[in-house]
Amino acid sequence: MLVPLSSLREGESGVITSIKTNPRGRRGRSWGLLKRLMDMGLTPGTKITVVKSAPFRGPIEVYVRGSRLALGRGMATRIFVEIDK
Amino acid sequence: MKKEKKKLRIALAGNANVGKSVIFNQLTGLHQHIGNWPGKTVEKAEGTLHFKGYEIDVIDLPGIYSLSTFSLEEIISREYIAFEKPDVVINVIDASILERNLFFTLQLIELETPIIIALNQIDMAQKKGIKIDHEKLSEILGVQVIPTIAIRGYGIYDLLTAAVKAVEEKASNPNKVRYGKEIEERIEKITSLVEGINLPYPARWIAIKLLEGDRKIQEEVSKADPKILSFVQEMAREIEKIHGHSCSTVITSERYEVAGRIAREVQKIQRISKIPMSQKLHDLTTSKILGYPIMLCVVLSIFYGIFTFGDYTSTYIGDFLYSFEPFFDQVISNHVLKELIWNGAIEGAIAGITIALPYIVPFYLMLYILEDSGYLSRIAFLMDVVMHKIGLHGKAFIPVMLAYGCNVPACLGCKIMETERERLLAAFVVTLIPCAATTVVVLGLVGKFVGIEWAFMLYIIDLAIIFMLGRIAFKSLPGEPTELLMEMHEYRMPHLRTVVSQTWFRLEEFIKIAFPLMILSSIIIKAIEILGLFEPLSMLLSPVTVGWLGLRREMGIALIFGILRKELTLIMLATILGTTNFGAVLTSLQMLVFSLITMLYIPCIATIAACVKEFGWKKAIFITIFEVLFAIFAGGVILRIFMYLGLP
Repeated sequence: MLVPLSSLREGESGVITSIKTNPRGRRGRSWGLLKRLMDMGLTPGTKITVVKSAPFRGPIEVYVRGSRLALGRGMATRIFVEIDK
Repeated sequence: MKKEKKKLRIALAGNANVGKSVIFNQLTGLHQHIGNWPGKTVEKAEGTLHFKGYEIDVIDLPGIYSLSTFSLEEIISREYIAFEKPDVVINVIDASILERNLFFTLQLIELETPIIIALNQIDMAQKKGIKIDHEKLSEILGVQVIPTIAIRGYGIYDLLTAAVKAVEEKASNPNKVRYGKEIEERIEKITSLVEGINLPYPARWIAIKLLEGDRKIQEEVSKADPKILSFVQEMAREIEKIHGHSCSTVITSERYEVAGRIAREVQKIQRISKIPMSQKLHDLTTSKILGYPIMLCVVLSIFYGIFTFGDYTSTYIGDFLYSFEPFFDQVISNHVLKELIWNGAIEGAIAGITIALPYIVPFYLMLYILEDSGYLSRIAFLMDVVMHKIGLHGKAFIPVMLAYGCNVPACLGCKIMETERERLLAAFVVTLIPCAATTVVVLGLVGKFVGIEWAFMLYIIDLAIIFMLGRIAFKSLPGEPTELLMEMHEYRMPHLRTVVSQTWFRLEEFIKIAFPLMILSSIIIKAIEILGLFEPLSMLLSPVTVGWLGLRREMGIALIFGILRKELTLIMLATILGTTNFGAVLTSLQMLVFSLITMLYIPCIATIAACVKEFGWKKAIFITIFEVLFAIFAGGVILRIFMYLGLP
């Protein structure tokens, strides 16, 4: 099943399939966001685990490629992951 | 035979929080210099050392994860490596997060710069159950790998020896990073095209960057030969067709695949039964229920500690320095000269000292301890939601917190934000925050004579204004906001010597920026006083001060003094009014409006200087003028609201 990363509960994990960039954003900006996520290791096919989400729709903590990242929620809604269900 | 000093240049490069600055400090000790990269709001740390007959310049490049062009730091790093060509790059990597760190190492190798690797924090890796075969890693990469534990100084000597050896023998010849066949073919085709044009980067690297869609390289290449770009686009489309993802994604993924494969080959991971202390601390400090109260306790106790310490030492140092005044009186008999030198220049310097040493030093110490230990990134995680309201993300909480102590380091601290837009936005917010000196004024005037709840109320009004202005600035500045994306590294013991030396260099920076201006403006204001210009000046200001703000005419003078240092508004008020019992001569409303204006009206001269240094004259002056006008406007509005409501 394909869902946005932000919908995963704490402790759940999935495999990244794609990252949706803002269609209204200028090409340069969305390239920047995408590239930045890729550079941090969030490439398609990577396993990602949601460790914790901060209250009041704050950022989420994910575990990816052996390290912990804090990820803004807006970004997390654009990252799509495959979960088995 | 005359012995000539041979010179070497070493650059340190690596991810953030891998212990790079600790290694830098171990190498250079106190022989370092911290400044900005020319024309950029990015910090540059340089140092020198002598080793085996060499004079070695060490440069600490910013901590980054990639060599693409997302941030200024990345561009600066890769341009430094490509243009300045250091003799060797020491790539510091964190042994406990090998895969992510190797991803960066591979990019350095692609840039074809001579490198050696410092495999750092092997002790922390061991605690996580990770063992790394560094000889095997060295064999696979074709790069020397030296295991180090920087905070204990372990491996530093070997590292330096290896660096010198690598330069002498030109021994660095790393193995090429290989991509999939269909990509390699296209890289080769582009490489052969690019070889003809004259750019300071290696041809293969340019080819890869073109395929990755790197804007900066595209521009450079199109200047030389625009036909290459259309060819590259065609190649990129072919790759996209094969893989179903954008070409840049494919290349980054494959690079990560290579990094992951190497990491798996060289590391053995044992399951450890005991949960490490750092993990427990992490869970506790980011906990939904306990995280916030813990943060509040930590931040408040730090503030309390600093203000108590600062108040005590500040008075002590001040009294000590002022005890020289009678002596000074005897030496200089000319009254005007004495006024200018003592009450002008020297008092300006004393003010600087009594702010810098007692408040700024402990503030920086605490900041670096928090940062080095890893707690600061947890605070950023928790505060992200709040900072989002003004279009900034969690990391901005750090300069904001600093600003409550002093606006100057806070302004300089805005560098931690990723983009120029966010730096400026953060700096704007920071200059509106009441610093320690402003707090003294608010408490000493409103808190004492109107009531502590009114002082509190002023803070709430101020906070509301900051949020409102922050939002407006956020909406009106061009560009999109950047979201939080930050690594939260393991908790660790801060390295004391690094923390102290960072504090020391920060203090030096503060003194350089603030002191000359404090002294100069102190003299100027004294001169205006001696020339008897205060009276005409306050007359000139009276339509604003009396007419619009409902203050007493003399209070305008006190506000002028506040430009120097905020607490001077209170001191001057006492001098001008001839009493410290303000309740007897001023109405509650006057005190409230006066304090509110002090909170908002102008960043002090030292803060303006810090803004100029980071953002240039234009932006600094714009911020200053805007805030003065806004404070006058807000003061008058609040006055009328309060009068209408019949408060207080």
